Amino acid sequence: MTADPMDAFSGDLPVGTSTPSSLRVRLKSYGPALALFVGGLLVWEAAVRVFDIQAFVLPKPSTILERLIAQWSVIIAAAGNTMIEALGGLVAGVIGGVIIALITVRWAGAREGIMPFAIATNSIPIIALAPILNNMFPITSPVSKMAAVAIVVFFPVMINTARGLIEVDQSELELMRSYAASPRDVFARVRIPHALPYFFSALKVATTLSIIVAIVAEYFGGPQDVLGQYIIGKANLFVYPDAWAAIVVAAAIGIALYGMVLVTERLSMPWHVSFRAADEK
Amino acid sequence: MSVVEAVNLGKTFGSGSEAVTALSGIDLSIESGEFVSLIGPSGCGKSTLLRLIGDLTRPSSGEITINGKSAEQARRDRDYGIVFQKATLLDWRTVSKNVELPLEIMDEARRSERAAEMLELVQLTDFTSHYPWQLSGGMQQRVAIARALAFKPSLLLMDEPFGALDEMTRELMQQEVLRIWAETGTTVVFVTHSIPEAVFLSTRVLVMSARPGQVSHVIDTSLPHPRTEDTRESNAYYDKVTEVREALRQGERKS
Repeated sequence: MTADPMDAFSGDLPVGTSTPSSLRVRLKSYGPALALFVGGLLVWEAAVRVFDIQAFVLPKPSTILERLIAQWSVIIAAAGNTMIEALGGLVAGVIGGVIIALITVRWAGAREGIMPFAIATNSIPIIALAPILNNMFPITSPVSKMAAVAIVVFFPVMINTARGLIEVDQSELELMRSYAASPRDVFARVRIPHALPYFFSALKVATTLSIIVAIVAEYFGGPQDVLGQYIIGKANLFVYPDAWAAIVVAAAIGIALYGMVLVTERLSMPWHVSFRAADEK
Repeated sequence: MSVVEAVNLGKTFGSGSEAVTALSGIDLSIESGEFVSLIGPSGCGKSTLLRLIGDLTRPSSGEITINGKSAEQARRDRDYGIVFQKATLLDWRTVSKNVELPLEIMDEARRSERAAEMLELVQLTDFTSHYPWQLSGGMQQRVAIARALAFKPSLLLMDEPFGALDEMTRELMQQEVLRIWAETGTTVVFVTHSIPEAVFLSTRVLVMSARPGQVSHVIDTSLPHPRTEDTRESNAYYDKVTEVREALRQGERKS
């Protein structure tokens, strides 16, 4: 993941420092995606009108927007509850994943013991587990949904963080050995900074997963004022545009959380190679 | 007192029928203030010998002492600084924070002042707050040298430090290292596969031969100091380059 520093060499002068034009350049780079999004919506709207597609098959974007405005307070309240479940589970799963990664890398004995079980969590079919978790906790409690989210996000966070902690350049470890550095110093000054990009990659996946898993877990029952129950309820009543409006909100939450991870990533490791490239373009 | 002392040192990798003898019967004595180069064909164990001095690997036979102590004790006492072929700078640290790294680990005071002094020594004062990727290969290697000397070790180990640099940069770096050596009085053990580099830098060149790795010749390169660009064009320099080259050829024939 980390490139050879020599790759970045282009003359004796420092390169890649942020310039006033970089913001404009970045906006410009969003151009194609924005055009595709707006264009896609227009084609969708036109196709539904021209081919006279029924609303239960595919509603018009304008209808979805209409229903979103009409149902706004109900959908937002449901989204808030779903977000609490998703974030609660996300935090628990991420903390668990990072702790297990640190333990397995620090102590080889723990690695042999824990790893098979940690990997096994990846094979748990969450669709099968969600109804069981629902019965484990009080029906109104968000904890069963949090548990489902935590189990799903644990694995990608654990395995990626562990890889980042392990895959350290051999010569960096020899350098630390030449300083007679303690294992703690090796972790704090080499392994953990090295694992940060791996951790953030996993966190991006985990964030998106958390919303999806929370909604899936909601399908199997529990409180009614959540996105999963709202969507399933509206679908059962054939009020598809309303269900679509809730899906739009769920996607928006996923994108917003993803964006927050991106910003945090950029702030916490401005040195990273992926951000150099963006500035140099 | 000698800084590095080795008696009948040997190193074997693997065991049984797959065992490879990297080094055998090495006797070595390096005095304080010397600049000793290890030169030889690839596979002669010159890097392994350097790593034995630094206690980055353990000998299979024989004895090695650094400053009168075991190599391990010397490493624990932070008796040496090391520079690898790759600069091995930490990407997430600025130039001066990279130089401060050993000082942090050794819990030393006045870290930023020490780093500033070292960066002045390697003439990188204008780049203290840059990140490693913003520097050229030669500049990165100078940061690595500053870092290796930051805690004032009595011994500097260099493992083909200029192997990845172009010829022009390489010659400039050689001048730099000689200047730093003269200013700090540090003992230097320098691994290289370049004959001119070994002759230009060293007070003594140890020529090694392969299979098994042994020291085949010891050549005194007592050219006058300070050595300059004129040194590279002097007859005495040519003679020494020829002497080292012939010693290397003899080693090749023998194996």
